[in-house]
Amino acid sequence: MRVFIILVAFAVGTLTGLGLTWLASARSNGFGAVQIGAWTAWPKSGTAEADPYARAVFARSGELPLGLADGIAFEATSDDSGMKLDGRCDTRIAGRLPPARFWTITIYDSRGRLIDNAAERYDFNSSEIVWNVDGTVEITLAPRARSGNWLPTGGRDHIVVVLRLYDAPVGLGTRSGETAEMPTITQVRCP
Amino acid sequence: MRNYMLPIVVGLVLGGLVHLTTTLTMPHFALADAFARLERLGPVNTVVLVPNPTPFTATLPRMDPAFATAVCRYDLSRGALRVRVPLSPDYISVSFYTRYGLAYYAINDRAAGRRAIDLQLMTHAQRAALPEDEEITAADRLIVESPSVEGIVYIRAFVRERGVLDAVRARFAEAICAPVS
Repeated sequence: MRVFIILVAFAVGTLTGLGLTWLASARSNGFGAVQIGAWTAWPKSGTAEADPYARAVFARSGELPLGLADGIAFEATSDDSGMKLDGRCDTRIAGRLPPARFWTITIYDSRGRLIDNAAERYDFNSSEIVWNVDGTVEITLAPRARSGNWLPTGGRDHIVVVLRLYDAPVGLGTRSGETAEMPTITQVRCP
Repeated sequence: MRNYMLPIVVGLVLGGLVHLTTTLTMPHFALADAFARLERLGPVNTVVLVPNPTPFTATLPRMDPAFATAVCRYDLSRGALRVRVPLSPDYISVSFYTRYGLAYYAINDRAAGRRAIDLQLMTHAQRAALPEDEEITAADRLIVESPSVEGIVYIRAFVRERGVLDAVRARFAEAICAPVS
């Protein structure tokens, strides 16, 4: 009986321990997230003060985080209403962007790969995108060609949008940066 | 039922410990971390081009396709390195990571000299061992102290239009990452 009880203790321990680690490192959720609308950034993960969770996440994925002196990366996996971004839908990203020397906006699949499409269009940067006269931008993520700034989603069910602001003002990476203006994300039409 | 309370509580505490240890040691056991992926591109202490990411092949996940990238995996065990990256007309940056992917320093073209980002990379001990008189001349050269013996120098240059991609990549041929002579 005693052996059995010890075995139960070890089984519970191993399962919860490994389960927690697996969960924590599968999602990029280190501490110190800066959240603006549907966008989240982990500015600390690009510095020497990155927490153990962030280090584990990057070691497991193989990604090199953008150094904070280089810029700051915001990612979105859901729209403003909290609905998961779905590549089969039409999603509108619209509004003003925070000041930076320049920016890029890229979509990836859930494993961080670019999405194959005939137009070979994976991203927009601030100098090639078509701006509105009032200084706002409007981008449509959709499986089929759309007029204006279109990013093809390949009809994947899970997509991730990453907005990287290069040489951005330092304040953006702090809590006070949460007042910065970021574009809204709305899923307009789903089949 | 009471018989099971104790093993479960003990189990949960054990679980917490297992979680802490595995999280903290994961960087040391991860098989496909950035350093391992970049190892396939070439030897240490040389600048190698990183192929541009496509939907089917990407050296690292989530690379920014708007950039041309080159990399130098370094090993300082034989001495300091000189890193020199000629500037391109557009944004260019050099970021430093430890063997386990920790970003500890980055510099971009705005902070650099007129022609190149030019610096020396060494460990704390190597810097401390610099002769006194060299310390004076060191004032006008940039020294980056690496917290680890091995690491990654990651060079990225912005490609504003696709047409200039090849030209930007070609400039990486002039980049240096070699022992200080």
